[in-house]
Amino acid sequence: MSIIYTLRNVVKERLNDGVGFRLCVPKIEIRAQENIALIGHSGCGKSTLLDMLALILRPDDSEDFNLHPIDGDNSDVADMWQRNRQGPLSQIRKRHIGYVLQSGGLLPYLTVRENIELPRRLLNLPDDDSIESISKVLGIQRQLDKLPGYLSVGERSRAAFARALSHRPSILIADEPTATLDPITTQKIMAVVMEVIKGLKITLITASHDWHHVYKMDLRTLNQVAEPVDDGKIYQSTFCD
Amino acid sequence: MAQITNIVRLSFRDYSHEWRMSGCFVLALASVLAPMMILFGLKFGVVSTMIADLVENPINREIRPIGSGSYDDAWIERLRAREDVEFIIPKTRALAATIQLKSDTARRILSTELLATAAGDPLLGSGLRAPANYYEVVLSASAAKRLEITAGDRIDGSLARQFRGKRERVHLPLTVISVADPGVTPRNVAFVHLDLLIASEHFKDGRAVPELGWSGNSATAGARSFPSFRLYARSIYDVTRLVEDLEREGVRVKANVAEIDTVQSIDRNLSVIFWIIACVGALGFSFSLGASLWANVDRKRKDLSILRLIGFKSGRIVLFPVLQSCYTAFLGWLLAVLIYLVFEHLINHVLAPTLNIDRKLCFLLTEHFLWALGLTVLIAIYAAILGGLRAARIQPSDGLRDV
Repeated sequence: MSIIYTLRNVVKERLNDGVGFRLCVPKIEIRAQENIALIGHSGCGKSTLLDMLALILRPDDSEDFNLHPIDGDNSDVADMWQRNRQGPLSQIRKRHIGYVLQSGGLLPYLTVRENIELPRRLLNLPDDDSIESISKVLGIQRQLDKLPGYLSVGERSRAAFARALSHRPSILIADEPTATLDPITTQKIMAVVMEVIKGLKITLITASHDWHHVYKMDLRTLNQVAEPVDDGKIYQSTFCD
Repeated sequence: MAQITNIVRLSFRDYSHEWRMSGCFVLALASVLAPMMILFGLKFGVVSTMIADLVENPINREIRPIGSGSYDDAWIERLRAREDVEFIIPKTRALAATIQLKSDTARRILSTELLATAAGDPLLGSGLRAPANYYEVVLSASAAKRLEITAGDRIDGSLARQFRGKRERVHLPLTVISVADPGVTPRNVAFVHLDLLIASEHFKDGRAVPELGWSGNSATAGARSFPSFRLYARSIYDVTRLVEDLEREGVRVKANVAEIDTVQSIDRNLSVIFWIIACVGALGFSFSLGASLWANVDRKRKDLSILRLIGFKSGRIVLFPVLQSCYTAFLGWLLAVLIYLVFEHLINHVLAPTLNIDRKLCFLLTEHFLWALGLTVLIAIYAAILGGLRAARIQPSDGLRDV
């Protein structure tokens, strides 16, 4: 399978007067249709790495940061950030990436259906039965005309997956999507999601602190180590293959 | 294009979804804008009313000769030809210029002052036709009321004199072609053709008026001259110069020069005071509107970041708060206009009559409303762009995580 993400010596720092957090990625390569899990305790930089992979956070330093979606051209993401080319970055996000936020991130003023439709509308995709079918698979077809505020936490999480998948992206990034759910619901939702992404040949990159279900779902985990450096001033977290 | 259409739709959906919050912004805007409009309406209304009163009311443009003189037709014609003279007509001796009027409906005979008039007489205004012959008359409202007649009625006019030791009276059938506005004069006045006024004077002087079949001494030869005249300047701004010119000729006259100066200086002073208040008000209005809209954009940072995460471009994202600010600006303006109109009605129809003012104290022109809308939308867009750019400049990731 072709390599879609290549990261070499990518660094992101959150420092205040030289004290704080540093995320280091010496080397990560992610292949198409691979399912990746970022495992680690809270604050170890999982979300930071996911945001960089989702092209919504600028790395402070990167030797190599390339994204080559299976249905798109290779993009030098490091260069795009360097030259602040927001247009192409948003174009890649729009076309190739689906993102599930920990909080769901549904827009409160749109119905579930409109939320799910939004990425498709942006891409001018035709109105077919894809909204209905993805909603049916995720078990939210009866909630489509409700506002997110009227949904249970589990339903919101399913709706967030449906929105992230509605435009058939080749990459799905999910940041602790089931963190607020009970284990049974988590297992149910993740089982369905795994089935869908297999069927649609999507690459899944997810973060979780729930070690148990990650091993069950047969995901490749990235190695993560965290240690204090610079006399304990900086807490440095490293992710690598 | 798809992005812009979507942003318009989304911004409106969000705005109506948060109708309580949107309503608060609209209220906040209207509560600052409405008093400004009322203040401006009052300033504009009061000054315009005073100016209009001065300009429109012919009494303020009238230049009255003091005492009696001798003005011949040529002199009158010369003045009539002047650009700054709107109307001039001779007057005969006051004693000769009265007529007794009797109607079929009223019992009493009314002794009425005769004033010569002609087309263009500002006292009659543009709506009334001037009498064209001996037999037509325009009555003042007071005279018409006492005679209990209306336009179109026929009345009897009579003149009396002592002639060769005998008391004589002649009658003249008159048609009331119209009744003048009550504001023109409170006195009993019959506006007639100059010929009738001259005929009346001739009759009272014992002279014959063959045209009307009135007997008497035959007319003496020589140029006709009048003791007085009724003169109106074209505008209040011409009064001072006309007065100066007439006095240079030795004609002693009187006009409302002091009053005109007073109103002009009040206009100047009120304008200065108003503009100080308006500038301070507009500044406060800009800051309050700007701050509340800017704060609103800040509140929307997470939603805007989600839109960017989905793939909206930063530039398009700015449109979202700008459009919402435009909705607020328009609705706030609309509400302010409604509030203003209620107050305008109260001031003009409830307050003004208690102050014995029969004119509008507070009013605005359509262009003033449009100016207010334009200014409000401009400030709103400016504030929203500032806030929107800030929201668009931060990385979507920060917007998503910092709440």
